[in-house]
Amino acid sequence: MRHLECFVAVAEESHFGRAAARLGIAQPPLSQRIQRLERELGVRLFERTSRQVTITEAGTLLLAEARELLGRSEAFLATARRIRDGETGLLRAALSPDISGETVAALLAGFRRRSGLELELHELSTAQQLAGFASHNLDVGLIHHPCDVAGLELGPILRRDLGVLLPRGTAQAGLAEVPLASLTGYDLVLFPRDTAPAVYDDLLTACARGGYTPAAVRHGQGASFVRGLVLSAGAVALVPRDTQLAATGAPDPDLVWRPLAGAPLARRTSVAWPKGRGDAAVGAFAEAATHALRTTAGAWAETAARPLHLRPASEFWL
Amino acid sequence: MTDTLGRLRAAFDDAGVTGWLHAVDIDSGAQVDAGADQPVCTASVHKLCLLVALHEHAAEGRLDLTEQIECPPAGRTPGPTGLAAMLDPVRLSLRDAAFLMMSVSDNTAADLLLRRVGLDAVNRTTSRLGLTRTRAVHGFGEMLATMREDAGPAGARALTDPHVITRLRALDPARSNRSTPRDMTRLLGAVWRDEACPPEQGAAMRRILGLQVWPHRLASGFPFDDVHVAGKTGTLPTLRNEVGVVEYPDGGRYAVAVFTRTAHTAATLPAADAVIGTAARIAVDALRAP
Repeated sequence: MRHLECFVAVAEESHFGRAAARLGIAQPPLSQRIQRLERELGVRLFERTSRQVTITEAGTLLLAEARELLGRSEAFLATARRIRDGETGLLRAALSPDISGETVAALLAGFRRRSGLELELHELSTAQQLAGFASHNLDVGLIHHPCDVAGLELGPILRRDLGVLLPRGTAQAGLAEVPLASLTGYDLVLFPRDTAPAVYDDLLTACARGGYTPAAVRHGQGASFVRGLVLSAGAVALVPRDTQLAATGAPDPDLVWRPLAGAPLARRTSVAWPKGRGDAAVGAFAEAATHALRTTAGAWAETAARPLHLRPASEFWL
Repeated sequence: MTDTLGRLRAAFDDAGVTGWLHAVDIDSGAQVDAGADQPVCTASVHKLCLLVALHEHAAEGRLDLTEQIECPPAGRTPGPTGLAAMLDPVRLSLRDAAFLMMSVSDNTAADLLLRRVGLDAVNRTTSRLGLTRTRAVHGFGEMLATMREDAGPAGARALTDPHVITRLRALDPARSNRSTPRDMTRLLGAVWRDEACPPEQGAAMRRILGLQVWPHRLASGFPFDDVHVAGKTGTLPTLRNEVGVVEYPDGGRYAVAVFTRTAHTAATLPAADAVIGTAARIAVDALRAP
């Protein structure tokens, strides 16, 4: 494996010195390893001149498979580490704070049916989860889109339609479906932008497109805080049906949740894990989480992609 | 400097992007470094390397920039501008093809020139100028072909699907044309100081770089009639780049390279384009501060 790492590093850097620096070793042992690998395979991988290194045709043919083998070995080591660290093995997973208790319970039960590993579950924002993946402190998580997905693998992307949370006495509360534009005049209660800037911006853009531009956005996440703002401060909140305040189990005497006409807004969620570090346990978590969201939160997979009109400044064209 | 880095980070965060920037005062060498050594996919920014290689060949007498080339309609590298979007046969000079490649990022013109000069020559030019982290591994048509393959049967509209974004080889600096912000400002400095080519070819390159039509990125940060902005953009799904030189009437000239990646997969994100100008301005203001 170490030899393959050397091969891929030299191929990507096209330079022995830079590849050695990247691998944290000196240049002579790197050259020796490449030579040994070439002898073992009976294939010349690089052409070397005094000034530069270029990969051979044969090297190019082997490069993709070398990358794949390295990816598999990372997953193998991740499983081994989990087994070593816990008695039966441990999967470090995270959920964003807006996932309902019912979904969490269904996920835990589903995971137990699918895997013997112990699940260490954390409540983390999408930004915190991405940082956890990068620092190798997290194996898998449930994240919100859009977010920067570079270096990740994803499960199916599910959407939960957003509805509006209103005081029971308002005119809109009497409607079966509330047109977004009819919320004009209300402030909006929304999570703080820095927990998921792209999701935040996407939501406000979609609101404006639908005819609703709130005069003020008030930041809040906790159920009682949001409830207070909606009841007494002329504000509404846009949330999926399965959030605590909208849940049908114990109806709130003062608040109602109503769907938005035409379902113009959604929260998009998927399981995510670092590229190449997916194994059976990660797969079990992904299946359990996806199933739990579908059955307890009314989440569904969007199939029809929206039209895409690339403008000339896009520079690319397929 | 800490304050400048903080302001840059805030600007990138505010626009919903991750950004890397390097800015250099071309004459004093003073710099702003916000991730200047990050390996990045160059996308169409690599047309700048091709432009320099072409002019190096001209300076060495290996080609004549007024030489005419044929561009038949069949087999053109796809693109939304220039020759790539035209329907009928075209005959034009190498230097006019270079103008189209840089002013509207014409992919067909770029691949015509690349065929004339060769990928190896582009890499030889960047190596000679000391750009050790810069490498072209394929032409522009080949890069688009990998995207077509990775996008699958749904074509362009699949490019907003986060699953597709995670598997695009064109977005992996290890497997596509690549550089760093620092390498790109080094290249621009060499072009502006006539170190890349003799003054005649240097002036020709600077003229072409000043004719880029896009107003939405680097140029948007400098809304001043007396400030000259020259540059080259690069764009792929979630990637927005521009490298260029900003010249003030007092003689101050600054090479700036900004590379960004958006969290959102949408193709139309004006704030992500504009933050390239905003970030460049923050850096140039810091370099100009007394």
